[in-house]
Formats: sequence, structure tokens, C-alpha cells
Amino acid sequence: MRQHIESGAHAAPGAVPPWDPVVRLTHWSLAAAVLANALLTKPGATIHVWIGWAAMAVLALRLLWGVIGPREARFASFLPDPRGALSHLVDLLRGRPQDHASHNPAGALMAYALWACLAVVIGTGLVMTDGKSPLTISEENAAVAAGDWSVLVAKDRADDHDDEGAGEIAEEVHEVVANLMLILAVIHVAGVAVESRALGRNLVRGMVAGRRR
Amino acid sequence: MIDPDRTQATERRRQLGLAGIMVLQCVAAVFFVGDVAADLVHAPLAGHSVLEALVTAALVAGILLNAWQLRRTINRMRAQDRALGAARGDLARIIGAQFEAWSLTPAERDVGLLALKGLDAAEIAGIRGAAPSTVRAQLTRIYSKAGVSGRAQFAAWFVEDLLDGISAPPAGTADRQLS
Repeated sequence: MRQHIESGAHAAPGAVPPWDPVVRLTHWSLAAAVLANALLTKPGATIHVWIGWAAMAVLALRLLWGVIGPREARFASFLPDPRGALSHLVDLLRGRPQDHASHNPAGALMAYALWACLAVVIGTGLVMTDGKSPLTISEENAAVAAGDWSVLVAKDRADDHDDEGAGEIAEEVHEVVANLMLILAVIHVAGVAVESRALGRNLVRGMVAGRRR
Repeated sequence: MIDPDRTQATERRRQLGLAGIMVLQCVAAVFFVGDVAADLVHAPLAGHSVLEALVTAALVAGILLNAWQLRRTINRMRAQDRALGAARGDLARIIGAQFEAWSLTPAERDVGLLALKGLDAAEIAGIRGAAPSTVRAQLTRIYSKAGVSGRAQFAAWFVEDLLDGISAPPAGTADRQLS
């Protein structure tokens, strides 16, 4: 077993490029945003919407970086490959995963799944708030607090008329997908732990400090 | 002398800073974009919203440029990293091969390498936990095997190869040729 670890860690010195700062910053910002909005902030609170909008920006940056970033950050180097992911998982169970320059195929699928969930959660969140920016929402709340209830009336009328059903569906999807994302995140963390053990190098360090060996 | 590792660390910090600013810019931009979109829906041609749209477009363009620049910096630094690694590896390989050719013993190789790094006999003795007299004797044997007169010539032996093809320039007109 020890032998495998040694060969895994030293098979191709320098073949694993470091994660660049944009990848690292976006990764941890999104993780923090998801955790904060899932566990800390009250659903529907202004701060919840603020964080959601910030996460939207960071996700957009990561997706942009997936097109113009350095090679291992680009989508082209970790295209979704379910078969590759499966064989990687089998290798992992045998304790002999291969090293990959970018995400490993299973990790890549997880990244896409998490991003897709995040996009859905953000999208439904926008539907639920009528696409109002958190600034507008806090202005409206301030107006209501000051005694001007006209906003509420307009809101009620809009709700009555058109998208009562759509709003409820959005809310339902928002919650379900958010929970799904949390479950995926737990699996993601477990996967990183198992893979770090098998490879004999701490994958988390690469995502924190950049250097991957 | 500039320490390449230290400049790399500085460069890395600078990149992290650039990336951080880019994240902030994106967060700022998304609020502007949302605001502009709302404004354009409510009052499409008001001067206010048109101006805001322009500012937002400039911000987004700035982010794109910043991203492009950062990507180029990262790529350039990696190329330098690789070149530096290759040069170090090459020099180490050349020194190793030459030590072999001079048939130095393993102990003499270690001492020779430390001598090349600029350590004197006392320092080498400290590192190796040996008596300074032993190290001095080893150094003498190394110099005699290499056929050099002393430390300066010993070090120059390896530098000479690197300077091959460069004729001594006239004083004050040192042209640097970089490809």
C-alpha cells in the first residue's frame, strides 16, 4: 500500500499544474455563499438575496474563466465524461486512482452538477423575487416600514394575476435543488477525502494554496 | 542577486490580489447589471438608465480585460517556472556527470556541491558534522582530481561552459540578448 502511495505521488513530478487564484477564490466564495444561504441566513431575508446575487456574479466569473482561463481551469480539459468518471471511481475503490492535470473525471462531473444546481437555485431565486436586486428589496422594505404600503398592494396584484403557480413551482424547485446541492457537496467533500488518502497528497491544500504537490 | 523563488512568491501574491479584485468587480458588476436591466425595463430611454448602462458595459469590459491579462500573466509565469526548473535540472545533471568523470567519491561529491554553492570549509564541516581538517583534505583532493588550482577555478570550471560563446564585451556596452 505504501508503495502505491509513493508511486502515485511521484509518478510524474511537475505534471500537475497548480490551481490558479481565480479557480481557488471562486471555489471558496461559492462554497461559503452556499453554506451561508443554506444554513445561516433566513430564506427570503435581504441578506439571503444579497448573497445569492454575489454568488451569481462569482459563478459567472468561474464560467467565464472556464473559457478564457489557463488550460486546467478550462472546460475543454474536463469535459463531462460519465464513463471515465465510472472507471475512475472503480480505480479509486481499488485504491489506485490516476493523477489528472485538471479535475479527475468524477470530480469534473461533480463540479458540473454543483454548478448546474447553483444556477437553478439562483434562477428560481430570481423568479421568486421578481428579479429585484437586493437594493430594490431593501428600499421597498424600508418604504413599508415607513408606512407606505403601496408596494405590497402592487405585489399582491401581480401575484393574483399572473404567476401565482409559477412562483410556487419556483419556490418548490428552489428548496429541493438547494437540498440536493448540499447532499452533493457532502459527497464532494467525502470524495476529496478518499481521493487524498489514495493519492497520498492532500487535495485540499492545492485548492487553498495553489501548489498541488 | 535576485532570488528567483522570492520573485515567484511575490508574483503569486500579486496574482491572488488581481484575482480577488476581479471577484469584487464581478460582484459589483452583477448588481449594476441587475439595476440597469430593471431600469431599462421600466424606463428604456431615460438618460439616467442609458448612462448607467454605459458605465456597466465599461465595467464588464474591464473585467474581461483583467481576466485576459491575468490569464497571460499566469501562463507566462508557468513558462518561466518550467524554464527555471529545466535550467536547474540541466546544471545539476552537468555537475553530476562531471563529478562522475573526475571519479569523486560520494562524500567528495557532497563536499564539492556545497563548495560550489559558496560555503567555506568550516561551514561545510558544520553541515556534514565532520572536522574542518577532514573537509579541507577532501577539498584538496577534489581540486587535484579536477586539475584546478583552488576554489575559484573549481567554480569557474562550470560557469565557463555557461559563458561559452559569449566574448568579453568592451567595458560599458554589455548588450543583453534575450530571445
